Amino acid sequence: MRYLFLFVGITVIFMACKKDKTIYVQTPYELKIPSHFPDMIIPIDNPMTVEGVELGRKLFYEKKLSGDNTQACATCHAPSAGFSDPEQFSTGIDGLQGDRNSMALINLGWNTSFFWDGRSKTLEEQIIQPVINPIEMHEEWKNVVGKLSADIEYKNMFFKAFNTDEIDSLQAAKAIAQFLRTLISGESKFDVMYKFENNLSLSANDQVIYQTITPSEWAGYDLFKSLNGADCFHCHNGPLMQVQKFSNNGLDAAFTDIGRGDVTGDPNDYGKFKVPTLRNIAYTAPYMHDGRFSTIDEVIEHYSSGIQQSSTIDPLIEYAFQGGVQLDAFEKDLLKQFLMTLSDENFVNNPDFQEP
Amino acid sequence: MRKFKQVVLISLAAVTFFSCKEEQEPDCQTEPAKLRVTVQPVFGSETLYLDSVYSTVEGYDVKFTDLKFYMENPRNGSAVLIDAGLFDYRERGTLLMEGEGSYLDYSSMNANLGVHSSINHNDPAAFDNASMLNIANSNDMHWGWNPGYIFVKVEAKVDTIADANPLFDHNVVFHIGKDENFQTLTFSDVNWSDQGSHHELPLKLDMETFLQNGAETIDLKNEYTSHTAAGQEVLSMKVMVNFKAALTPY
Ligand code: HEC
Ligand code: HEC
Repeated sequence: MRYLFLFVGITVIFMACKKDKTIYVQTPYELKIPSHFPDMIIPIDNPMTVEGVELGRKLFYEKKLSGDNTQACATCHAPSAGFSDPEQFSTGIDGLQGDRNSMALINLGWNTSFFWDGRSKTLEEQIIQPVINPIEMHEEWKNVVGKLSADIEYKNMFFKAFNTDEIDSLQAAKAIAQFLRTLISGESKFDVMYKFENNLSLSANDQVIYQTITPSEWAGYDLFKSLNGADCFHCHNGPLMQVQKFSNNGLDAAFTDIGRGDVTGDPNDYGKFKVPTLRNIAYTAPYMHDGRFSTIDEVIEHYSSGIQQSSTIDPLIEYAFQGGVQLDAFEKDLLKQFLMTLSDENFVNNPDFQEP
Repeated sequence: MRKFKQVVLISLAAVTFFSCKEEQEPDCQTEPAKLRVTVQPVFGSETLYLDSVYSTVEGYDVKFTDLKFYMENPRNGSAVLIDAGLFDYRERGTLLMEGEGSYLDYSSMNANLGVHSSINHNDPAAFDNASMLNIANSNDMHWGWNPGYIFVKVEAKVDTIADANPLFDHNVVFHIGKDENFQTLTFSDVNWSDQGSHHELPLKLDMETFLQNGAETIDLKNEYTSHTAAGQEVLSMKVMVNFKAALTPY
């Protein structure tokens, strides 16, 4: 009896102080931030660690996250497609389709809202959603946790990443968020153009790329930025090639998807969507929130002559009154050549981003 | 025996309790005094809300959709409140800037409307992360290194036809920057109000004054766009001068 009593007591002490137990010391992960980018602000409660990123990468490609173990995040966010989906609408595990095009996952660590309508404010919060979404992975996190907990490799990886014996959804989301923050694209031809025009030093490799930039690509860049040219840079600008805002770029006169308006309930936000990055645009077709355009040419035609007026159209679609910026065939070609400079092969082929 | 059990229990409880005691920081440091400068947009005597309709002297109906500006280097003598404040009515509400210091140091204040040429063309990624001049915060208020920052941004939609039909199809876009349009602001005799947790300097931005600054009027039907490009010099300067006149202590 006395021993039992003591035993219980000791267990209590042990449990009460569990956090003083042997802990795994994680290795900080060094993000490779391009010299012309701002710092990435990492949430205090989810520091980047080598172990976290490794776990996140495995989870990103993990089909057990879906109801019938057939779909991973990567199914709709494929590296070869700039981490988006070549289909107009992705098909979930139950064969259901949404009405929005999958988004490219590029430089997300600098974004301030997520999804086409910006309904998530953080990556950690965003990641919880596709798993439970009935038209996507359609699974309960409870089951995901069950499946992962039954796998000794995951048990070890979660322990190493978060010092935990109990896997939970928040940690899974944190790990995937860490992996997504490593998906940095900043080594395209455009980056060399950006550095060159701003007198930033070019690396030896940049110098080599610099030699390959054609006069048409430079002319296309000028057109992209020119107020009486293509007039694109108000919304697709800076090293990210996007500004952080919601905008109606004149796709429709009447809205079938009210976009941001769904989140705010404000009619002044109807038809507004998150301004996407144009990085790796050659890989991420189809285009727009509903994937309505299958080629860059169609996109250029839209801005050139297909603009639809509506009450919430962005005043920065400045030539809306004449249906668009009205580019001629030669200018359209220059603009397209510039858009191709945004391709970053090192990004889509980066071995660290592929299925482990 | 019972006594022994009790002793064991009490000591166990005590051990449990002490062994897990979290280190508590003594809470004796005083917070540094916080200072806030706020800007309330108004249209004459009315509070101005984005996307709401106001009537101009010319009889147009106007909805402002974006109001943003930089106030850089707010200072009084050697005291500097912060490197730069960025007003963004849609995203950040009325807060222009928050800094630390004593309000007594800022009985009057000088500041720049816009960004001084000495830093206007710096690497926008190299500013401190907390700085509003860092490109992560400046967002669409930075054009590029050569032109630099947009100092003042006013966007609006206007119905220029006086009938019962609300058709806001006339877009107004003023994006004014460039070194030659830089302005200085002087607020003498400023009144900080004690808000308990901080002191606040409330300013107001009267968009009616912006449109009707004495003889300097902006007729939105005819003067509706400037990107500070060549050929837009006169309107660009007028936008800056009128904006400056519209920004006063509340
Ligand atoms: C069935 C296809 C599908 C699957 C599976 C899927 N997604 Fe997505 N993802 C989408 C679609 C479609 C959108 C845009 C949805 C919207 O805006 O409403 C999107 C948007 C996103 C965004 C927002 C990007 C931005 O720029 O705002 C992130 C991040 C993301 N997904 C991550 C993930 C992660 C992580 C997983 C796995 C846990 C995942 N997705 C699984 C289709 C999918
Ligand atoms: C007023 C802001 C604005 C301007 C100016 C603008 N865009 Fe966009 N762009 C957007 C928005 C918003 C979207 C997403 C719209 C949607 O899906 O509903 C978008 C989407 C795109 C896409 C599709 C990206 C994807 O991932 O699906 C491309 C490509 C594009 N824009 C290129 C351009 C080009 C080229 C120009 C100049 C001719 C331009 N944009 C001018 C706001 C703008």
